[in-house]
Amino acid sequence: MSALFSLQNWFLETVGIVDLETLKNWFTYNPKQPLLFNSALFLGLFLIFYAIYILSRKTHYFRITYVVLFSLFFYYKCSGIYFWLLIFSSVVDYALSRLIFEETKQGYRKFYMILSLLINLGMLAYFKYTNFLIDNFNTLFDGTMKFEDIILPVGISFYTFQTLSYTIDVYRRELEPTKSFMDFLFFVSFFPQLVAGPIVRASDFIPQIYEKLKLTKEDFNRALFLIIGGLIKKAVISDYISTNFVDRVFDAPNSYTAFENLMASYGYAIQIYCDFSGYSDIAIGLALLMGFWLPDNFRTPYQSGSITEFWRRWHISLSTWLRDYLYISMGGNRKGKIRTYFNLFMTMLLGGLWHGASWKFVVWGVLHGLALVVEKFFGQFIKLPKNIFIRTIQVVLTFHFVVFCWLFFRAKDFETAFQVIQNIGKLTFDFNQWQTIILGYKNVFLLIAIGVIWHFIPVKGIAFMQKSFSSIPLLVKAILLGLIYWVVYATASAGAQPFIYFQF
Amino acid sequence: MNTSKYFFQSLAVVVVSTLSFLAFKTFLPKKLFSEDIASSKNIVVDSLLLEAIAEDGDLKSEDTLTNITIDYKITNGVKFPTETFEDYTGNQYLVTFFEKLFQLETKKEGNVRIAYFGDSMTDGDLIVKDFRTYLQEKFGGQGVGFVNITSESASSRSSVTHEFSGNWKTQSYLKVKRPSRAFGVNGHVFFANDTANVAWVKYKATKTKFASELPRPTLFYGSSSNKEGKVIFVAGDTIVKKLTPNNTLNTLTLSEGSLKNLKVNFKKADSIPIYGFNFDDGKGVHVDNFSNRGNSGLPLGSFDINTMRAFHVKLDYDLIVLQYGANVLNYGTLDYTWYEKRMTKVVNHLKECFPGVAILIVSTADKSTKYDLEMKTDSAVVPLNRAQKKYAIKSEASFVNMYTLMGGDGSMVKWVEEVPSKANKDYTHFNHRGAKEAANLIFTQLNQGYETYKALRKKKKPAAPIKKDSAIIKNDSVNEE
Repeated sequence: MSALFSLQNWFLETVGIVDLETLKNWFTYNPKQPLLFNSALFLGLFLIFYAIYILSRKTHYFRITYVVLFSLFFYYKCSGIYFWLLIFSSVVDYALSRLIFEETKQGYRKFYMILSLLINLGMLAYFKYTNFLIDNFNTLFDGTMKFEDIILPVGISFYTFQTLSYTIDVYRRELEPTKSFMDFLFFVSFFPQLVAGPIVRASDFIPQIYEKLKLTKEDFNRALFLIIGGLIKKAVISDYISTNFVDRVFDAPNSYTAFENLMASYGYAIQIYCDFSGYSDIAIGLALLMGFWLPDNFRTPYQSGSITEFWRRWHISLSTWLRDYLYISMGGNRKGKIRTYFNLFMTMLLGGLWHGASWKFVVWGVLHGLALVVEKFFGQFIKLPKNIFIRTIQVVLTFHFVVFCWLFFRAKDFETAFQVIQNIGKLTFDFNQWQTIILGYKNVFLLIAIGVIWHFIPVKGIAFMQKSFSSIPLLVKAILLGLIYWVVYATASAGAQPFIYFQF
Repeated sequence: MNTSKYFFQSLAVVVVSTLSFLAFKTFLPKKLFSEDIASSKNIVVDSLLLEAIAEDGDLKSEDTLTNITIDYKITNGVKFPTETFEDYTGNQYLVTFFEKLFQLETKKEGNVRIAYFGDSMTDGDLIVKDFRTYLQEKFGGQGVGFVNITSESASSRSSVTHEFSGNWKTQSYLKVKRPSRAFGVNGHVFFANDTANVAWVKYKATKTKFASELPRPTLFYGSSSNKEGKVIFVAGDTIVKKLTPNNTLNTLTLSEGSLKNLKVNFKKADSIPIYGFNFDDGKGVHVDNFSNRGNSGLPLGSFDINTMRAFHVKLDYDLIVLQYGANVLNYGTLDYTWYEKRMTKVVNHLKECFPGVAILIVSTADKSTKYDLEMKTDSAVVPLNRAQKKYAIKSEASFVNMYTLMGGDGSMVKWVEEVPSKANKDYTHFNHRGAKEAANLIFTQLNQGYETYKALRKKKKPAAPIKKDSAIIKNDSVNEE
């Protein structure tokens, strides 16, 4: 009895008191607390969800409906009432794709296709770009149009692209539609990749719905390995360095030394990679645990020797999507050299705009687009010898170009971006100063260093680590995962490091 | 069946990992990364603050002030209504300042000068820049006021572009207890002791309202036996002027008119204490920003009385604003009796240094700290805020409660999370937008006090002309050299 009592006490201490208010918070939408994979609430929900999921693994309709409901709840926790939007666009896309599939007259097929594009891109444009357009209109014509009070539905850019791939594939007769609406909704709303990718192709995913659910030993180990790595990248490295260093410098670059500006720029490159790829890894891992395969999204992109290579390794599901549905639709490389360059450039420009409704994302896309064009152009004439020396120079140059472009991506406006650039320009070699700054922010720099080293571990090294992980006993794996949760928790509970004033 | 095996293993992993997490959470420390700052000679920490905590940190407060009502004595025929501790503003102590504003507004006579002392909250002229603009909009005046020779935050200052050579020797009241020569009103003293390379300083006006020019640039410097010192600068032609360091404080006006930019080289000026440049047009209101990252306010107690009085003769301050607190919050104490005691002394010392000046204390702003994964108002904010109000009352200074004005409990979290945000992610400092709002809050309270003063002034009986209680002969513009 006393053992039970102390267990109860322990539960109260570690989990907290579960009263009606807490319970309500768990199940209602709070815009300030979207449901993230790295939250305790998600862990608890997934635990219960997963138990029922595997018990129902042999059913189809029940399981599919069950996952759809959970996914819609998940989306509701992230975006509130907008889960209706998700259902609405699914209904429209499912119906139009059916029509496209069953229709034989090319003219009608094209009409349905264009209608679907207009609806999907129209919604994306309304929610994401209305205020951007108003702002530009006002600037150009001295207008006084008021901004609309629009809240961006979480993940709309991701799921719009996903459903577009479905409709276009059906139109291209490369894919058969799903057998039922529920199956389609399952594809659209599948919670692991719903809000932050990877952008899953209908042709990759839909066939899996109809296969027998299975989880191999390799997939099981890979899933845990990805989740552990993803948690560390997203919730430890990225979250800590952003709040304690990068955000501050980008808030007021002129209040910091040249070295701090430079380090914040590098730091942001690590932060965005860890944040994004970490979240993708967790998504891929969770999907694997549920018996679904999602495409790889990142392959250590900062190891790239050119921008062309970078885009084969960074946010792969987006860059291949843009290639297959935008670049190729514009004519790709089939219409002569000049058009190829133009198509490449436009794809990157629009790709930039996809990331956010602001000119700074356009500039970011344009810079990458120009780099791709320049590389393609000079690639015809210059063949560099392949050796480690040349490769190192290429990697260093590519990395710095990418970091430079990130400045526009991260800074809140062009003014701030130029301030950072100007400040870095004042950098002088001063070892003592650098050492003091590094020691002052030792946790931050330690995490940045871990991020960099991790990134440059060769593929073989990672494979070895994964193999070693696979061979440890199940119980140890579970405890290790629990330890990682604690690391995430203990990082998140650290308050913001107090402000440090350096004086040199 | 084999394929199902790993589903159940996965479930087992999720369950066991969750349980072991709860166990780890019980036994392992709560925080992975400490929030302590590494010590280093290059990290600015106010040395007087550390001393004060070491000596008096364990003083216990005697709460005698918080229940009283404050009944004022008549000053110059004006008496503000009684106030309680909770709503204390101390406008009564600004009567002489208000009267100067009144003369300025109604008769366009005289001018008003304010010294705004602060910490990193006012770094880069944040808050003060906007406060100055609000005042100059209403009462006139051009120029950014007094500017240092070197400053750690020069690059973040938008109201004047400020650059300087790296060979200045700088002494700051934050780091040096006994400077080789007395500190200036800015808490600093600079020396051009490098004989091999010329020491220079450069100012350029920006597009800031009321500061788009550098009116009447005037150098302030102290006494020295070195009579060889010269300054060389360009104002149309290249001009060379001799420094005559004969008095405690000397001034040299480089141009009677306004310049857009100014670069001054110092030649053979070693050992002459250089303080800085003043830019004002002699009319309206001028506000000097004396901000210092890391300052607790205590270093102001080390001002040399004679030197300050010399500054007061030249600059004629009417109001001193003290905005401190951000650097006093992080020392684990919740009883600020030690700080209250010492700051009372500081304020009284300032009154001795600048006879007749009115004092305004701006309290700490809200600051958040993470408690159980959630950002909340730091538990030290309210005690510090009360201590600041207490020393304001004790030393007869007026008081702006920045913490309640910005929204009280939890307001910093709102300022940070609002779109567009008004404060930085360190949950301590305002950004440009927030600083402007903070300046507006301060100005609004001051202006309300001023309007009340005008109303009260109307009611008073026509009396003899106001006598100044200052022993010093005041001169409303900067003296000729």
